[in-house]
Amino acid sequence: MAEVEQFIKDMGDKIHAKIEKKRRFYFNVSNDNLPEVADYLFHKMGCRLSTATAMEMYHGIEILYHFSNDKTGQYFCPRVVIKDKKNPKVNSITSIITGAIWIEREMFDLWGIEFIGHPRMEELLTLNNPGNVKQPLRFKEGA
Amino acid sequence: MKANKIPVGPFHPLLEEAEYFELTVDGETVVDIDMEIGWMHRGHEYISEMKTFTQSIFLVERICGICSTSHPIACVHAIEDIDNIEIPLRARYIRSLVGELERIHSHLLWLGLAGHFIGYDTLWMWAWKYREPVLEMFEIISGNRNHYGMMRVGGVAQDVNPEKLVELHKHLDMIERKMVMIAKAAKDDPVLKSRLKGVGVLTKEDAIAYCTVGPTSRASGVPGDVRLDEPTDAYDLVEFERIVLPNGDVYDKLVVRVLEIIESIKICRQCLDKLKTATGQVLNNVKEISPGEGIGRYEAPRGEVFHYIRSDGTNRPIRHKVRAPSYVNIPSFKASCKGIPIADALITLASVDPCYCCTERSLKVVDKNRDPHTLDLLGLSRTKTERIRRTIHGN
Repeated sequence: MAEVEQFIKDMGDKIHAKIEKKRRFYFNVSNDNLPEVADYLFHKMGCRLSTATAMEMYHGIEILYHFSNDKTGQYFCPRVVIKDKKNPKVNSITSIITGAIWIEREMFDLWGIEFIGHPRMEELLTLNNPGNVKQPLRFKEGA
Repeated sequence: MKANKIPVGPFHPLLEEAEYFELTVDGETVVDIDMEIGWMHRGHEYISEMKTFTQSIFLVERICGICSTSHPIACVHAIEDIDNIEIPLRARYIRSLVGELERIHSHLLWLGLAGHFIGYDTLWMWAWKYREPVLEMFEIISGNRNHYGMMRVGGVAQDVNPEKLVELHKHLDMIERKMVMIAKAAKDDPVLKSRLKGVGVLTKEDAIAYCTVGPTSRASGVPGDVRLDEPTDAYDLVEFERIVLPNGDVYDKLVVRVLEIIESIKICRQCLDKLKTATGQVLNNVKEISPGEGIGRYEAPRGEVFHYIRSDGTNRPIRHKVRAPSYVNIPSFKASCKGIPIADALITLASVDPCYCCTERSLKVVDKNRDPHTLDLLGLSRTKTERIRRTIHGN
Protein backbone atom coordinates (compact mmCIF):
# COMPACT_ATOMS: atom_id res chain seq x y z
CA MET A 1 0.00 0.00 0.00
CA ALA A 2 2.87 2.35 0.78
CA GLU A 3 4.08 2.18 -2.81
CA VAL A 4 0.60 3.10 -4.08
CA GLU A 5 0.43 6.04 -1.69
CA GLN A 6 3.88 7.21 -2.76
CA PHE A 7 2.90 6.85 -6.42
CA ILE A 8 -0.29 8.89 -5.89
CA LYS A 9 1.73 11.56 -4.08
CA ASP A 10 4.39 11.78 -6.80
CA MET A 11 1.94 11.79 -9.71
CA GLY A 12 -0.34 14.44 -8.15
CA ASP A 13 -3.11 15.60 -10.43
CA LYS A 14 -1.76 13.67 -13.43
CA ILE A 15 -3.84 10.66 -12.42
CA HIS A 16 -7.53 10.55 -11.58
CA ALA A 17 -10.56 8.22 -11.32
CA LYS A 18 -8.55 6.02 -8.99
CA ILE A 19 -9.81 2.54 -8.05
CA GLU A 20 -7.81 0.60 -5.50
CA LYS A 21 -8.28 -3.10 -4.82
CA LYS A 22 -6.13 -5.75 -3.21
CA ARG A 23 -2.84 -5.61 -5.17
CA ARG A 24 -4.57 -3.77 -8.04
CA PHE A 25 -4.56 -0.04 -8.70
CA TYR A 26 -6.54 1.26 -11.67
CA PHE A 27 -6.47 4.93 -12.62
CA ASN A 28 -7.07 7.24 -15.57
CA VAL A 29 -4.32 9.25 -17.21
CA SER A 30 -4.41 11.67 -20.13
CA ASN A 31 -2.64 10.92 -23.40
CA ASP A 32 -0.20 13.80 -22.74
CA ASN A 33 0.78 12.46 -19.32
CA LEU A 34 1.01 8.80 -20.35
CA PRO A 35 4.75 8.77 -21.24
CA GLU A 36 5.66 10.42 -17.94
CA VAL A 37 3.57 7.95 -15.93
CA ALA A 38 4.98 4.99 -17.90
CA ASP A 39 8.51 6.27 -17.41
CA TYR A 40 7.94 6.62 -13.65
CA LEU A 41 6.49 3.12 -13.34
CA PHE A 42 9.12 1.44 -15.52
CA HIS A 43 12.31 3.27 -14.58
CA LYS A 44 11.73 4.68 -11.12
CA MET A 45 9.59 1.92 -9.62
CA GLY A 46 11.11 -0.95 -11.63
CA CYS A 47 7.76 -2.23 -12.85
CA ARG A 48 7.48 -4.61 -15.81
CA LEU A 49 4.98 -3.89 -18.59
CA SER A 50 2.93 -7.08 -18.59
CA THR A 51 0.67 -6.10 -21.49
CA ALA A 52 -2.03 -3.62 -22.48
CA THR A 53 -5.72 -4.20 -23.13
CA ALA A 54 -7.63 -2.19 -25.72
CA MET A 55 -11.40 -2.09 -25.71
CA GLU A 56 -14.01 -0.18 -27.67
CA MET A 57 -16.71 1.41 -25.54
CA TYR A 58 -19.54 3.69 -26.63
CA HIS A 59 -17.79 6.71 -25.10
CA GLY A 60 -14.47 5.99 -26.83
CA ILE A 61 -11.61 3.53 -27.08
CA GLU A 62 -9.92 2.54 -23.84
CA ILE A 63 -6.35 1.36 -23.47
CA LEU A 64 -5.56 -0.21 -20.12
CA TYR A 65 -1.85 -0.76 -19.46
CA HIS A 66 -0.80 -3.40 -16.95
CA PHE A 67 2.42 -2.69 -15.06
CA SER A 68 3.53 -5.33 -12.57
CA ASN A 69 5.82 -4.62 -9.65
CA ASP A 70 7.32 -8.08 -9.31
CA LYS A 71 8.93 -7.22 -6.00
CA THR A 72 5.57 -6.73 -4.30
CA GLY A 73 3.01 -8.39 -6.59
CA GLN A 74 1.23 -5.03 -7.05
CA TYR A 75 -0.37 -4.17 -10.40
CA PHE A 76 -0.56 -0.56 -11.64
CA CYS A 77 -3.07 -0.08 -14.46
CA PRO A 78 -3.10 3.35 -16.18
CA ARG A 79 -6.14 3.80 -18.40
CA VAL A 80 -6.17 6.13 -21.41
CA VAL A 81 -9.50 6.94 -23.06
CA ILE A 82 -9.47 8.11 -26.69
CA LYS A 83 -12.64 10.04 -27.53
CA ASP A 84 -12.00 10.29 -31.28
CA LYS A 85 -13.09 6.84 -32.42
CA LYS A 86 -12.75 7.64 -36.11
CA ASN A 87 -9.10 8.58 -35.91
CA PRO A 88 -7.76 7.13 -32.66
CA LYS A 89 -4.23 8.27 -31.77
CA VAL A 90 -2.18 7.94 -28.63
CA ASN A 91 1.44 8.51 -27.66
CA SER A 92 3.71 5.50 -28.01
CA ILE A 93 5.72 4.33 -24.99
CA THR A 94 8.15 2.24 -27.06
CA SER A 95 10.93 4.80 -26.60
CA ILE A 96 10.64 4.14 -22.85
CA ILE A 97 9.87 0.39 -22.92
CA THR A 98 11.20 -1.73 -25.79
CA GLY A 99 8.84 -4.54 -24.81
CA ALA A 100 5.85 -2.39 -25.84
CA ILE A 101 6.61 -2.70 -29.57
CA TRP A 102 4.50 -5.78 -30.26
CA ILE A 103 1.85 -4.79 -27.72
CA GLU A 104 1.20 -1.48 -29.50
CA ARG A 105 1.39 -3.07 -32.96
CA GLU A 106 -1.31 -5.55 -31.96
CA MET A 107 -3.61 -2.71 -30.84
CA PHE A 108 -2.95 -0.90 -34.12
CA ASP A 109 -3.76 -4.10 -35.96
CA LEU A 110 -6.97 -5.12 -34.18
CA TRP A 111 -8.39 -1.71 -33.20
CA GLY A 112 -6.74 0.71 -35.61
CA ILE A 113 -5.18 2.80 -32.85
CA GLU A 114 -2.20 4.77 -34.14
CA PHE A 115 0.69 5.08 -31.70
CA ILE A 116 2.57 8.33 -32.31
CA GLY A 117 6.33 7.70 -32.31
CA HIS A 118 6.17 3.94 -32.77
CA PRO A 119 9.19 2.73 -34.82
CA ARG A 120 7.21 0.26 -36.94
CA MET A 121 3.51 0.98 -37.06
CA GLU A 122 2.22 -2.00 -39.05
CA GLU A 123 0.00 -5.02 -38.53
CA LEU A 124 1.21 -7.79 -36.25
CA LEU A 125 -1.38 -10.57 -36.35
CA THR A 126 -3.13 -9.96 -39.69
CA LEU A 127 0.02 -8.96 -41.60
CA ASN A 128 -0.01 -12.04 -43.81
CA ASN A 129 -3.73 -12.65 -43.77
CA PRO A 130 -4.93 -13.20 -47.35
CA GLY A 131 -8.37 -11.73 -46.65
CA ASN A 132 -9.26 -8.07 -46.23
CA VAL A 133 -9.16 -8.03 -42.44
CA LYS A 134 -9.00 -4.52 -41.05
CA GLN A 135 -9.45 -3.72 -37.38
CA PRO A 136 -11.46 -6.88 -36.65
CA LEU A 137 -12.25 -6.04 -33.02
CA ARG A 138 -13.86 -2.64 -33.69
CA PHE A 139 -17.67 -2.28 -33.58
CA LYS A 140 -19.15 -2.97 -36.98
CA GLU A 141 -21.50 -0.53 -38.72
CA GLY A 142 -25.00 -0.96 -37.35
CA ALA A 143 -23.87 -3.22 -34.49
CA MET B 1 30.58 -8.99 -47.50
CA LYS B 2 27.01 -8.97 -48.70
CA ALA B 3 24.48 -10.02 -46.06
CA ASN B 4 22.16 -12.92 -46.90
CA LYS B 5 18.70 -13.50 -45.52
CA ILE B 6 17.66 -16.93 -44.27
CA PRO B 7 13.96 -17.60 -43.71
CA VAL B 8 12.97 -19.86 -40.81
CA GLY B 9 9.31 -20.78 -40.76
CA PRO B 10 6.43 -20.05 -40.71
CA PHE B 11 6.14 -23.77 -39.99
CA HIS B 12 9.28 -24.81 -38.23
CA PRO B 13 10.33 -28.01 -36.49
CA LEU B 14 11.61 -26.22 -33.40
CA LEU B 15 8.69 -24.03 -32.53
CA GLU B 16 5.40 -24.76 -30.90
CA GLU B 17 3.60 -22.11 -32.88
CA ALA B 18 3.82 -21.12 -36.51
CA GLU B 19 6.19 -18.17 -36.56
CA TYR B 20 8.44 -16.67 -39.17
CA PHE B 21 12.01 -15.59 -38.53
CA GLU B 22 14.21 -13.89 -41.06
CA LEU B 23 17.85 -14.21 -40.12
CA THR B 24 20.23 -11.75 -41.74
CA VAL B 25 23.66 -13.37 -41.88
CA ASP B 26 27.04 -11.96 -42.77
CA GLY B 27 29.19 -14.97 -43.49
CA GLU B 28 28.57 -17.30 -40.55
CA THR B 29 27.35 -14.58 -38.20
CA VAL B 30 23.76 -13.56 -37.56
CA VAL B 31 23.68 -9.76 -37.72
CA ASP B 32 19.93 -9.16 -37.45
CA ILE B 33 16.65 -10.98 -37.02
CA ASP B 34 13.09 -10.08 -37.93
CA MET B 35 10.01 -11.88 -36.68
CA GLU B 36 6.45 -12.19 -37.91
CA ILE B 37 3.54 -13.89 -36.17
CA GLY B 38 -0.15 -14.28 -36.94
CA TRP B 39 -0.45 -17.66 -38.63
CA MET B 40 -2.22 -19.18 -35.65
CA HIS B 41 -4.35 -16.27 -34.48
CA ARG B 42 -7.64 -17.97 -33.64
CA GLY B 43 -9.54 -15.11 -32.06
CA HIS B 44 -9.88 -16.66 -28.59
CA GLU B 45 -10.46 -13.29 -26.97
CA TYR B 46 -13.36 -12.46 -29.28
CA ILE B 47 -14.88 -15.96 -28.98
CA SER B 48 -14.67 -15.73 -25.19
CA GLU B 49 -16.97 -12.70 -25.19
CA MET B 50 -19.69 -14.96 -26.62
CA LYS B 51 -19.22 -17.66 -23.97
CA THR B 52 -20.28 -17.84 -20.34
CA PHE B 53 -17.57 -17.54 -17.70
CA THR B 54 -17.50 -21.33 -17.22
CA GLN B 55 -17.31 -21.95 -20.96
CA SER B 56 -14.45 -19.44 -21.25
CA ILE B 57 -12.35 -21.62 -18.94
CA PHE B 58 -12.75 -24.56 -21.33
CA LEU B 59 -12.01 -22.29 -24.27
CA VAL B 60 -8.71 -20.98 -22.91
CA GLU B 61 -7.67 -24.52 -22.02
CA ARG B 62 -7.42 -25.06 -25.79
CA ILE B 63 -5.00 -22.17 -26.37
CA CYS B 64 -2.01 -24.41 -25.74
CA GLY B 65 -1.67 -28.17 -25.62
CA ILE B 66 1.28 -28.06 -23.24
CA CYS B 67 0.34 -25.39 -20.71
CA SER B 68 -3.32 -26.37 -20.92
CA THR B 69 -3.93 -25.77 -17.23
CA SER B 70 -1.98 -22.50 -16.87
CA HIS B 71 -4.49 -20.54 -18.96
CA PRO B 72 -7.50 -21.90 -17.05
CA ILE B 73 -5.81 -21.11 -13.71
CA ALA B 74 -5.06 -17.53 -14.81
CA CYS B 75 -8.60 -17.23 -16.18
CA VAL B 76 -10.28 -18.34 -12.94
CA HIS B 77 -7.90 -16.08 -10.99
CA ALA B 78 -9.10 -13.13 -13.10
CA ILE B 79 -12.78 -13.96 -12.55
CA GLU B 80 -12.20 -14.56 -8.83
CA ASP B 81 -10.31 -11.24 -8.64
CA ILE B 82 -13.46 -9.35 -9.64
CA ASP B 83 -15.34 -10.45 -6.51
CA ASN B 84 -12.41 -11.51 -4.28
CA ILE B 85 -13.74 -15.07 -4.28
CA GLU B 86 -12.02 -17.45 -1.84
CA ILE B 87 -11.53 -21.11 -2.70
CA PRO B 88 -11.48 -24.13 -0.34
CA LEU B 89 -8.13 -25.23 1.11
CA ARG B 90 -8.24 -28.65 -0.54
CA ALA B 91 -8.86 -27.03 -3.94
CA ARG B 92 -5.82 -24.80 -3.44
CA TYR B 93 -3.57 -27.84 -3.08
CA ILE B 94 -5.13 -29.58 -6.07
CA ARG B 95 -4.68 -26.50 -8.27
CA SER B 96 -1.00 -26.19 -7.37
CA LEU B 97 -0.46 -29.94 -7.77
CA VAL B 98 -1.85 -29.93 -11.31
CA GLY B 99 0.02 -26.71 -12.18
CA GLU B 100 3.37 -28.09 -11.01
CA LEU B 101 2.92 -31.43 -12.76
CA GLU B 102 2.35 -29.44 -15.91
CA ARG B 103 5.59 -27.55 -15.33
CA ILE B 104 7.49 -30.85 -14.96
CA HIS B 105 6.19 -32.34 -18.19
CA SER B 106 6.63 -29.08 -20.12
CA HIS B 107 10.24 -28.63 -18.97
CA LEU B 108 10.98 -32.30 -19.76
CA LEU B 109 9.58 -31.80 -23.23
CA TRP B 110 11.84 -28.80 -23.79
CA LEU B 111 14.84 -30.61 -22.33
CA GLY B 112 14.36 -33.49 -24.75
CA LEU B 113 14.02 -31.21 -27.75
CA ALA B 114 17.04 -29.14 -26.74
CA GLY B 115 19.07 -32.34 -26.49
CA HIS B 116 17.93 -33.43 -29.93
CA PHE B 117 18.79 -30.09 -31.56
CA ILE B 118 22.38 -30.22 -30.39
CA GLY B 119 22.89 -33.92 -31.08
CA TYR B 120 22.24 -35.31 -27.58
CA ASP B 121 19.64 -37.85 -28.56
CA THR B 122 20.09 -39.86 -25.34
CA LEU B 123 19.00 -36.81 -23.32
CA TRP B 124 16.03 -36.44 -25.66
CA MET B 125 14.92 -40.05 -25.19
CA TRP B 126 15.46 -40.01 -21.40
CA ALA B 127 13.55 -36.78 -20.93
CA TRP B 128 10.59 -37.96 -22.98
CA LYS B 129 10.62 -41.40 -21.38
CA TYR B 130 10.31 -39.91 -17.90
CA ARG B 131 7.64 -37.48 -19.06
CA GLU B 132 5.26 -40.41 -19.54
CA PRO B 133 4.78 -41.11 -15.79
CA VAL B 134 3.80 -37.44 -15.34
CA LEU B 135 1.06 -37.84 -17.93
CA GLU B 136 -0.04 -41.02 -16.16
CA MET B 137 -0.33 -38.99 -12.95
CA PHE B 138 -2.62 -36.56 -14.78
CA GLU B 139 -4.73 -39.50 -15.90
CA ILE B 140 -5.02 -40.73 -12.31
CA ILE B 141 -5.98 -37.24 -11.07
CA SER B 142 -8.31 -36.05 -13.80
CA GLY B 143 -8.99 -38.96 -16.14
CA ASN B 144 -7.14 -37.20 -18.97
CA ARG B 145 -3.52 -37.11 -20.04
CA ASN B 146 -3.94 -33.58 -21.36
CA HIS B 147 -6.70 -30.94 -21.20
CA TYR B 148 -7.62 -31.93 -17.67
CA GLY B 149 -10.73 -29.76 -17.27
CA MET B 150 -9.95 -29.29 -13.58
CA MET B 151 -10.39 -25.54 -13.05
CA ARG B 152 -13.62 -23.87 -12.00
CA VAL B 153 -14.44 -20.48 -10.54
CA GLY B 154 -14.43 -21.10 -6.78
CA GLY B 155 -12.29 -24.24 -6.78
CA VAL B 156 -11.68 -27.32 -8.90
CA ALA B 157 -14.02 -29.57 -10.83
CA GLN B 158 -13.16 -32.85 -9.12
CA ASP B 159 -11.43 -34.13 -6.03
CA VAL B 160 -8.32 -36.31 -6.00
CA ASN B 161 -9.27 -39.81 -4.98
CA PRO B 162 -7.61 -40.39 -1.54
CA GLU B 163 -7.02 -44.05 -2.44
CA LYS B 164 -4.79 -42.97 -5.30
CA LEU B 165 -2.43 -40.85 -3.22
CA VAL B 166 -0.03 -43.75 -2.56
CA GLU B 167 0.17 -44.50 -6.27
CA LEU B 168 0.82 -40.82 -7.05
CA HIS B 169 3.59 -40.73 -4.46
CA LYS B 170 5.23 -43.78 -6.05
CA HIS B 171 5.19 -42.13 -9.47
CA LEU B 172 6.67 -38.97 -8.00
CA ASP B 173 9.45 -40.90 -6.21
CA MET B 174 10.47 -42.55 -9.46
CA ILE B 175 10.40 -39.27 -11.39
CA GLU B 176 12.51 -37.56 -8.72
CA ARG B 177 15.23 -40.24 -8.84
CA LYS B 178 15.47 -39.92 -12.60
CA MET B 179 15.41 -36.12 -12.53
CA VAL B 180 18.28 -35.98 -10.05
CA MET B 181 20.22 -38.27 -12.39
CA ILE B 182 19.46 -36.11 -15.45
CA ALA B 183 20.25 -32.90 -13.55
CA LYS B 184 23.63 -34.30 -12.50
CA ALA B 185 24.38 -35.53 -16.02
CA ALA B 186 23.42 -32.20 -17.56
CA LYS B 187 25.39 -30.10 -15.07
CA ASP B 188 28.55 -32.25 -15.16
CA ASP B 189 28.81 -32.85 -18.90
CA PRO B 190 31.81 -30.92 -20.33
CA VAL B 191 30.55 -31.15 -23.92
CA LEU B 192 27.15 -29.73 -23.01
CA LYS B 193 28.82 -26.88 -21.15
CA SER B 194 31.17 -26.10 -24.03
CA ARG B 195 28.30 -26.28 -26.51
CA LEU B 196 25.83 -24.06 -24.65
CA LYS B 197 27.87 -21.75 -22.39
CA GLY B 198 27.94 -18.22 -23.79
CA VAL B 199 25.48 -19.09 -26.59
CA GLY B 200 22.54 -16.76 -27.29
CA VAL B 201 23.14 -14.49 -24.31
CA LEU B 202 20.23 -12.33 -23.18
CA THR B 203 21.67 -9.78 -20.79
CA LYS B 204 19.82 -8.70 -17.66
CA GLU B 205 19.35 -5.22 -19.13
CA ASP B 206 17.80 -6.64 -22.31
CA ALA B 207 15.61 -9.06 -20.34
CA ILE B 208 14.21 -6.08 -18.41
CA ALA B 209 13.87 -3.88 -21.51
CA TYR B 210 11.93 -6.57 -23.41
CA CYS B 211 9.82 -7.35 -20.30
CA THR B 212 10.59 -11.07 -20.60
CA VAL B 213 9.18 -13.59 -18.14
CA GLY B 214 9.72 -17.07 -16.76
CA PRO B 215 12.88 -19.15 -17.17
CA THR B 216 13.94 -16.83 -20.01
CA SER B 217 14.26 -13.90 -17.60
CA ARG B 218 15.31 -15.90 -14.53
CA ALA B 219 18.28 -17.30 -16.48
CA SER B 220 19.29 -13.64 -17.06
CA GLY B 221 19.27 -12.73 -13.39
CA VAL B 222 15.77 -11.22 -13.28
CA PRO B 223 14.09 -12.90 -10.31
CA GLY B 224 10.38 -12.54 -11.23
CA ASP B 225 8.29 -15.58 -10.40
CA VAL B 226 4.54 -15.13 -9.95
CA ARG B 227 4.35 -18.09 -7.56
CA LEU B 228 6.49 -16.15 -5.07
CA ASP B 229 5.72 -12.55 -6.04
CA GLU B 230 1.95 -12.87 -5.77
CA PRO B 231 1.33 -16.27 -4.19
CA THR B 232 -2.09 -17.71 -4.90
CA ASP B 233 -3.56 -21.18 -4.46
CA ALA B 234 -1.16 -23.23 -2.30
CA TYR B 235 2.06 -21.40 -3.12
CA ASP B 236 2.14 -19.58 0.22
CA LEU B 237 1.56 -22.91 2.02
CA VAL B 238 4.49 -24.86 0.54
CA GLU B 239 8.24 -24.35 0.55
CA PHE B 240 10.35 -24.10 -2.58
CA GLU B 241 13.30 -22.15 -3.97
CA ARG B 242 13.34 -19.41 -6.59
CA ILE B 243 15.79 -20.50 -9.30
CA VAL B 244 17.77 -17.55 -10.71
CA LEU B 245 21.03 -17.72 -12.68
CA PRO B 246 23.11 -14.78 -13.92
CA ASN B 247 24.53 -15.46 -17.39
CA GLY B 248 21.51 -15.39 -19.71
CA ASP B 249 22.90 -18.00 -22.10
CA VAL B 250 21.23 -21.19 -23.31
CA TYR B 251 23.12 -23.25 -20.72
CA ASP B 252 21.66 -21.23 -17.86
CA LYS B 253 18.19 -21.53 -19.38
CA LEU B 254 18.67 -25.30 -19.44
CA VAL B 255 19.91 -25.45 -15.84
CA VAL B 256 17.08 -23.19 -14.61
CA ARG B 257 14.52 -25.54 -16.11
CA VAL B 258 16.22 -28.67 -14.76
CA LEU B 259 16.41 -27.22 -11.25
CA GLU B 260 12.81 -26.01 -11.48
CA ILE B 261 11.72 -29.58 -12.17
CA ILE B 262 13.30 -30.62 -8.87
CA GLU B 263 11.54 -27.74 -7.08
CA SER B 264 8.22 -28.65 -8.72
CA ILE B 265 8.57 -32.22 -7.46
CA LYS B 266 9.06 -30.80 -3.95
CA ILE B 267 5.86 -28.76 -4.29
CA CYS B 268 3.91 -31.75 -5.63
CA ARG B 269 5.09 -33.92 -2.75
CA GLN B 270 4.00 -31.30 -0.19
CA CYS B 271 0.61 -30.93 -1.89
CA LEU B 272 0.06 -34.70 -1.92
CA ASP B 273 0.99 -34.88 1.77
CA LYS B 274 -1.44 -32.08 2.62
CA LEU B 275 -4.22 -33.75 0.63
CA LYS B 276 -4.11 -36.59 3.17
CA THR B 277 -5.23 -34.23 5.94
CA ALA B 278 -6.94 -31.27 4.22
CA THR B 279 -10.50 -32.50 4.03
CA GLY B 280 -13.66 -30.75 2.91
CA GLN B 281 -15.22 -29.62 -0.31
CA VAL B 282 -13.24 -28.61 -3.40
CA LEU B 283 -15.68 -26.17 -5.01
CA ASN B 284 -17.51 -23.17 -3.60
CA ASN B 285 -20.84 -22.39 -5.18
CA VAL B 286 -20.38 -19.16 -7.14
CA LYS B 287 -23.65 -18.07 -8.75
CA GLU B 288 -22.97 -14.59 -10.09
CA ILE B 289 -20.08 -12.39 -11.07
CA SER B 290 -20.50 -8.70 -10.22
CA PRO B 291 -19.78 -5.88 -12.68
CA GLY B 292 -16.09 -5.01 -12.52
CA GLU B 293 -12.67 -5.94 -13.77
CA GLY B 294 -10.15 -8.52 -12.65
CA ILE B 295 -6.57 -9.53 -13.34
CA GLY B 296 -5.44 -13.12 -13.10
CA ARG B 297 -2.01 -14.50 -13.63
CA TYR B 298 -0.14 -17.70 -13.15
CA GLU B 299 3.47 -18.80 -13.52
CA ALA B 300 3.19 -21.13 -16.50
CA PRO B 301 6.22 -23.26 -17.50
CA ARG B 302 7.30 -20.53 -19.94
CA GLY B 303 6.54 -17.62 -17.60
CA GLU B 304 3.69 -15.41 -16.52
CA VAL B 305 0.32 -16.06 -18.20
CA PHE B 306 -1.86 -12.98 -17.93
CA HIS B 307 -5.66 -12.77 -18.18
CA TYR B 308 -7.80 -9.64 -17.81
CA ILE B 309 -11.57 -9.98 -17.62
CA ARG B 310 -14.21 -7.29 -17.45
CA SER B 311 -17.74 -8.13 -16.42
CA ASP B 312 -20.95 -6.12 -16.78
CA GLY B 313 -22.85 -8.31 -14.32
CA THR B 314 -24.17 -10.77 -16.89
CA ASN B 315 -22.92 -14.34 -17.13
CA ARG B 316 -20.29 -13.62 -19.78
CA PRO B 317 -17.25 -11.32 -20.05
CA ILE B 318 -17.48 -8.16 -22.11
CA ARG B 319 -13.67 -8.19 -22.53
CA HIS B 320 -11.21 -11.00 -22.08
CA LYS B 321 -7.56 -10.22 -22.69
CA VAL B 322 -5.04 -13.06 -22.84
CA ARG B 323 -1.26 -12.66 -22.92
CA ALA B 324 0.86 -15.79 -23.09
CA PRO B 325 4.53 -15.74 -22.02
CA SER B 326 5.94 -16.47 -25.49
CA TYR B 327 4.39 -13.21 -26.69
CA VAL B 328 6.86 -11.21 -24.61
CA ASN B 329 9.76 -13.67 -24.78
CA ILE B 330 9.98 -14.01 -28.57
CA PRO B 331 10.78 -10.32 -29.28
CA SER B 332 13.91 -10.71 -27.11
CA PHE B 333 15.50 -12.68 -29.98
CA LYS B 334 16.38 -9.23 -31.36
CA ALA B 335 18.88 -9.00 -28.52
CA SER B 336 19.93 -12.62 -28.00
CA CYS B 337 20.47 -13.65 -31.65
CA LYS B 338 22.65 -10.77 -32.84
CA GLY B 339 26.28 -11.72 -33.26
CA ILE B 340 25.88 -15.47 -32.79
CA PRO B 341 27.18 -18.05 -35.32
CA ILE B 342 24.46 -19.50 -37.52
CA ALA B 343 25.10 -22.97 -36.06
CA ASP B 344 23.83 -21.60 -32.73
CA ALA B 345 20.74 -19.95 -34.19
CA LEU B 346 18.47 -22.96 -33.82
CA ILE B 347 19.18 -23.67 -30.18
CA THR B 348 18.95 -19.93 -29.36
CA LEU B 349 15.56 -19.67 -31.07
CA ALA B 350 14.48 -22.82 -29.23
CA SER B 351 15.76 -21.60 -25.87
CA VAL B 352 12.52 -19.81 -24.97
CA ASP B 353 10.81 -23.23 -25.17
CA PRO B 354 9.39 -24.91 -28.26
CA CYS B 355 6.62 -27.47 -27.98
CA TYR B 356 5.37 -30.97 -28.70
CA CYS B 357 4.50 -30.59 -32.35
CA CYS B 358 8.18 -30.48 -33.24
CA THR B 359 9.14 -32.97 -35.87
CA GLU B 360 12.23 -34.25 -37.54
CA ARG B 361 11.79 -31.68 -40.31
CA SER B 362 14.78 -29.41 -40.90
CA LEU B 363 14.87 -26.19 -42.82
CA LYS B 364 16.60 -26.18 -46.17
CA VAL B 365 17.19 -23.03 -48.20
CA VAL B 366 19.03 -22.40 -51.41
CA ASP B 367 21.90 -19.94 -51.27
CA LYS B 368 22.02 -18.66 -54.84
CA ASN B 369 25.38 -16.97 -54.29
CA ARG B 370 27.10 -20.30 -53.65
CA ASP B 371 25.90 -22.55 -56.44
CA PRO B 372 22.89 -24.74 -55.70
CA HIS B 373 23.66 -25.48 -52.08
CA THR B 374 21.48 -26.58 -49.24
CA LEU B 375 21.87 -25.24 -45.74
CA ASP B 376 20.64 -27.55 -42.99
CA LEU B 377 20.40 -25.57 -39.75
CA LEU B 378 19.70 -28.66 -37.62
CA GLY B 379 22.66 -30.43 -39.19
CA LEU B 380 24.90 -27.41 -38.54
CA SER B 381 23.91 -27.37 -34.87
CA ARG B 382 24.50 -31.11 -34.37
CA THR B 383 27.80 -31.00 -36.28
CA LYS B 384 29.10 -28.25 -34.00
CA THR B 385 28.32 -30.39 -30.93
CA GLU B 386 30.07 -33.38 -32.50
CA ARG B 387 33.14 -31.23 -33.20
CA ILE B 388 33.27 -30.10 -29.55
CA ARG B 389 32.76 -33.68 -28.36
CA ARG B 390 35.70 -34.91 -30.46
CA THR B 391 37.90 -32.07 -29.20
CA ILE B 392 37.11 -32.87 -25.56
CA HIS B 393 36.99 -36.65 -25.67
CA GLY B 394 39.49 -37.12 -28.50
CA ASN B 395 37.57 -39.72 -30.49
